[in-house]
Amino acid sequence: MSAHTEDIATIALVGNPNSGKTTLFNALTGQRQQVGNYSGVTTEVKSGETRTPHGRKLIVLDLPGCYSLRADSPDEKVALDALAGHLPNHKKPDLVVCVVDASNLERHLQLVLQVMELGIPCVMVLNMVDVAEKNGLRLDPEMLSEELGIPVIPMMAKAGKGLLELKQSLRHPFPPVANALKFKEGEDAEAERRLFIGKVCDLAARRPGSQNCNLSDKLDAIFLHPVLGWHAFVGVMFAVFWTIFSFASVPMDLIEGGLSALAEWVGSLMQEGDMRSLLVDGVIGGVGGVLVFLPQIILLFLFIGLLESSGYMARAAFLMDGLMSKAGLSGKAFLPLFSSYACAIPGIMATRTIGSAKERLVTIFVAPWMSCSARLPVYFLIIPLLLGENEGSWMQALLLFGIYVTGTLTAFVTARLLRNRLGPDQTPQHFILELPPYRTPQWSYIFRHVLDRAWSFVRKAGSLILGLSILLWALSTYPKTKSDEPAEVLAHSAMGRIGAFIEPIVKPLGFDGRTGTAILTSFAAREVFVSSTAILFRVQEADDEEQTRSLLREKISQATWPDGRPLFTPLSLISLLVFFIYALQCLPTTAVVAREAGSWKWAIGQFLFMSSFAYLASLLIFQIGSLLGF
Amino acid sequence: MSAVLESKSKVSLNEVALNCEVRITALLGPACERLRELGFCEQMQLRKLSNGRNLICTLCGSKMAISRELASHVLVAPAH
Repeated sequence: MSAHTEDIATIALVGNPNSGKTTLFNALTGQRQQVGNYSGVTTEVKSGETRTPHGRKLIVLDLPGCYSLRADSPDEKVALDALAGHLPNHKKPDLVVCVVDASNLERHLQLVLQVMELGIPCVMVLNMVDVAEKNGLRLDPEMLSEELGIPVIPMMAKAGKGLLELKQSLRHPFPPVANALKFKEGEDAEAERRLFIGKVCDLAARRPGSQNCNLSDKLDAIFLHPVLGWHAFVGVMFAVFWTIFSFASVPMDLIEGGLSALAEWVGSLMQEGDMRSLLVDGVIGGVGGVLVFLPQIILLFLFIGLLESSGYMARAAFLMDGLMSKAGLSGKAFLPLFSSYACAIPGIMATRTIGSAKERLVTIFVAPWMSCSARLPVYFLIIPLLLGENEGSWMQALLLFGIYVTGTLTAFVTARLLRNRLGPDQTPQHFILELPPYRTPQWSYIFRHVLDRAWSFVRKAGSLILGLSILLWALSTYPKTKSDEPAEVLAHSAMGRIGAFIEPIVKPLGFDGRTGTAILTSFAAREVFVSSTAILFRVQEADDEEQTRSLLREKISQATWPDGRPLFTPLSLISLLVFFIYALQCLPTTAVVAREAGSWKWAIGQFLFMSSFAYLASLLIFQIGSLLGF
Repeated sequence: MSAVLESKSKVSLNEVALNCEVRITALLGPACERLRELGFCEQMQLRKLSNGRNLICTLCGSKMAISRELASHVLVAPAH
């Protein structure tokens, strides 16, 4: 990044949460940073480059949203530090672009005035003017500019309208610092600012006398209703899970069929030997085993994108506040926890919007128990096995829903216990949440975001999972034995020896050495469990042509203990599911927790606690189930 | 005289009937600064939309949810 270069000017986008800063940032820089229709999507400074119409390069900083320059939460402090030039990789901005939602001018102007008082040149972007005018507001940008003493650019950042005018206003020399506005110090300044804002809005942003009930109000009558709202919430969540299972089956079958045909074709081209085994069993079996779940990952991100973009997320946070309070958290913790269903890392980053440091720490601690998308391939492997393949997809969806509920409820109970232990906040925290109007989802952004996530999944399959698949294949193939008996080949291999070492540890949970080894490899990344299982169980059946073509699930369901008992009973499958619900098997998450909590002790403690909890929970399930005769 | 009475209103936002248009007369307690930052300033008009654990009200075209405890710090008077 060339942020240190002296002759390149830096401009910072500042504004209240959900005023459209990131949408404008993406429009200016051509980037694809995450946007959403709720407060607190951006929690760290994003940097990009743009050019003025005269070709002059500018560094653009997208700052987290803030209501004032008095930092109340970690994300607001980041914005304040950026404006003061205290951030390590970014110099103090040469110009600030204050992004305000034109429909909420009275509220957003407070921050604009505070920024102007810093003595940095300012430009104000009056965003979403179309929505404001539709709501009956009569805006006069020229009058606003005259009263404030800074350029005011009306915009629709989502559609890119007004972008050229904004770029024109960023050309050199930058607009002068507005000196006309001088407010007294202390409490009088607040009152003076309010009076000034009232005067400006009377002149340049007149509201209609009465407001009619709009579509947002009608939808809120359902989604925020104390009874109907909960029905809608559960309905929306269940519909997401059901759709993931039912709609994904067609592309999954296609991918599965394609991979089988590819394995057969590659096998027919090569002679029997280690190279053929590596390509067919190691590479295609390992990577393909994970790739087959791509459609479901895509659907999950599509639904999360839709919920974030529509404005429903803030409603869900409002509804959840009562339930969250029982866990010692507030509705504000719901948004980071919900984001963790996609991936714990952005979820943990999103805790920066939580004002209470103790609540933030607790939320970070329990966030990995929200089942993330990396667990989906494991769930999708086990759930049909548990129910039998003939079960309808709604039963599978119900079980998946139950898995998410189990993880979430355990997280809430743990949060309650931890919150009690940490004690109350020094300053009382109150629930305040802005409920944005419902908006049409930004389809182009959602599709780009889903494609990015899908590509990231494929890239992971092609790098980490491919590497581990080859390693696992080698470990399960060498050293070789003279016997052709698959069980003996595996037992003699390095993997067989590792499995034999692990088996006494995992046997009380209902697993054999192969499953134990697959679990061990999944600590690198959860999805690797599927690849490992594919490789480990394929080795056993490798010389059987018919079964080599059969599905992995069939192989697993046919696996037995040495005495002939089936390896995977419903009880051992439940034990396996429980282990994956609770185990923290993601090194990047541990690193982010250490950074956000400011302590490696906290991150390592979390890893040890969650791994031990997963082991004990599986142990209890299997042992109690066995005692009861299941 | 009525203006003086209104400015000394002891009615909190919690006690206001639904769909009533009111004007903020005073903010109490340590959270008043945060309330002002969010737009709950003296003389601002708002309409209460729902009761419950958290109240919902419209304020300058925005819909805000605030806890009952916080709402008890917002003193209001009839808007007209």
